[in-house]
Amino acid sequence: MAELGERYSKINISPVIEKRKEDIMASIIELKNVSKVYGDDILTKVLSDISLSIEEGSFSSVIGQSGSGKSTLLNLMGTLDKPTTGDIMINNTSIKNLSKDELAVLRNQTIGFVFQFHYLLPEFSVLENVLIPYEIMCTDRKKDVLEDPKQRAVSLLKLVGLEKVIDKNAARISGGQQQRAAIARALMNHPKIILADEPTGNLDSYSTEMIYDLFRELNNTLHTTFLIITHDQKVAEKTDRIIEIKDGRINLDITK
Amino acid sequence: MKLGFRIAIRFLTASLGQTLLIMIGISVGVSVQIFIGSLIQGLQQSLLASTIGSSPHITIVSDTSKKEFSEYIDLADEIRSTDERIKTVTYVLDEPAFLLTEDTSQSLLIRGLPLSETEDIYHFQEALTEGRLPASSAEILLGSPLKEQYGLSVGDMITLLSTDNTALSCTITGFFDLKVASLNESWGIMSLSAAQQYFAFPDQVTGIELQLYDPYVFEADLVADKLQELPDFTSWQVQNWKVQNESLLSGLQGQSISSIMIQVFVMISVVLGIASVLAISVLQKSKQIGILKAMGMKNRLTSFIFLAQGAILGLGGALLGIMLGLALSFSFTKFAVTSDGSPVVALSIQPWFIILSGAIAVTASLAASLLPAIRSSRLNPIDIIRNS
Ligand SMILES: Nc1ncnc2c1ncn2[C@@H]1O[C@H](COP(=O)(O)OP(=O)(O)O)[C@@H](O)[C@H]1O
Ligand SMILES: [Mg+2]
Repeated sequence: MAELGERYSKINISPVIEKRKEDIMASIIELKNVSKVYGDDILTKVLSDISLSIEEGSFSSVIGQSGSGKSTLLNLMGTLDKPTTGDIMINNTSIKNLSKDELAVLRNQTIGFVFQFHYLLPEFSVLENVLIPYEIMCTDRKKDVLEDPKQRAVSLLKLVGLEKVIDKNAARISGGQQQRAAIARALMNHPKIILADEPTGNLDSYSTEMIYDLFRELNNTLHTTFLIITHDQKVAEKTDRIIEIKDGRINLDITK
Repeated sequence: MKLGFRIAIRFLTASLGQTLLIMIGISVGVSVQIFIGSLIQGLQQSLLASTIGSSPHITIVSDTSKKEFSEYIDLADEIRSTDERIKTVTYVLDEPAFLLTEDTSQSLLIRGLPLSETEDIYHFQEALTEGRLPASSAEILLGSPLKEQYGLSVGDMITLLSTDNTALSCTITGFFDLKVASLNESWGIMSLSAAQQYFAFPDQVTGIELQLYDPYVFEADLVADKLQELPDFTSWQVQNWKVQNESLLSGLQGQSISSIMIQVFVMISVVLGIASVLAISVLQKSKQIGILKAMGMKNRLTSFIFLAQGAILGLGGALLGIMLGLALSFSFTKFAVTSDGSPVVALSIQPWFIILSGAIAVTASLAASLLPAIRSSRLNPIDIIRNS
């Protein structure tokens, strides 16, 4: 896999990596006093006054008990949800004043999601699924168009070890394979950050291990930022930074 | 757009059974519309043709006690130059007479016509069942029922008696069938000059008859009013076919309205069908829509996916429906035939009507996909991601 990663970086990533190295340690996502309250009549405060900065190129995990607000935090960072109070900066830009369309473009070009459930489109093949974020980007044409997007998708699928099922229907491969395809899809537009919400919650321990190794490798080779929610202490210990959420607040924040 | 279309096509082909079912639904609607529309139009055209196809659209008669008049040449010239919608202007001398037979007498309306000019109106040449048209001498053309009734044949001499008891012998040159029993039984056709000579009205007629160009047939009342307004027309009465056939016209109108009603209801059921299927489809595909939005697809494009589905369903259904409708119409004219092999009703299959039916189906499908499109645009990805 390392060899594939190398080949991949040779193809079209290198200039971006150089640039990334320069401003490393700059924050990619920053939360400023973010609170989130749900409900209209009965108010539930899920997150209270969270300030947090995720550095570019970092490899962090978020842990905490079920219902502590981890997913809420991640969805806020991914612009899928809006904070009740406070502000979120992505790439040093406040998302407060961005329109829905601008947020969509931001998600498409900056953020890669990996959820507990893979959410591949069952009407498409594995390869087509990986290409979709790129095709969505092409509807805008704000970023440079790739010369051969298909080749990039194929090399990403090789990177996640799915070269044998490229043309299979997305619904016809195993759960672990589907999750890996979802990772390849998340990487397609070369996002600055991957937000993963219990990405292996549904998988056996072997697949779990493979996927975390893959994350680490992508972090090393492509310098993609990773923020991974997990309830698995062992998994968390493999990351460089552990953020623990308890009752909607940051309880612990350890950097190795 | 292209991506939206591709996803729409995938969504449709992924549930092919459902897609085909709704396309067939639309096509049945379109084919019924085409068939019923062509049937009603055909019926109306044949009704109109039998009513005004072989009769004048406008008739001008004397408004005084003396029904014969001699100014007809001048009047005809004036009429011709008055309105461009007028196609033919001709004249007639109508006089009653009796056809004397061995034991009885049959009353006839002798119509003296400049035959070469009135062909446009009456089509006697086509209506001939045997023989030829009368020439300017003492010759007459009779309706085919009289042939049977009195045992007449072409070349026979008959005797006519005018109301002032003048007798005239003339030769039968042929028989006609105008497809209207009352005319077949009562008309005797002579040349205008022969009739003028026989009834002793030299250079006089009882009426001027007008035919309008086809697209203006329904404007006969307007043309008639215009003529009536002319200064020279105070002692003449201008009649038009619409006044003479009021009940037919209201019948046709009722038929048109009921035909439109049927078509509207067919289309409403088509729209409801598409709308319900697409509404279900939004629910079925909400997971996909949610993830597409999470990946950065804009609301507009997710809406477009459903509009595109509506357009594809409508277009496919319309094309299928047009083929089905034409097949249905064709087999109707082939199998629903009278004893002589001609169709019971001659359908009027108009290209513009077929295109209109198709366009209505596509528009209706698009309209039906509007609500699902709005729903899909309102769908919040967070709800999808949290609910699994
Ligand atoms: N839309 C919502 N309305 C009300 N409460 C919600 C909503 N979404 C999440 N919650 C509540 O917020 C809390 C945190 O949820 P979540 O962020 O999913 O926790 P975690 O991912 O750590 O398990 C839970 O108690 C959950 O019930
Ligand atoms: Mg969660």
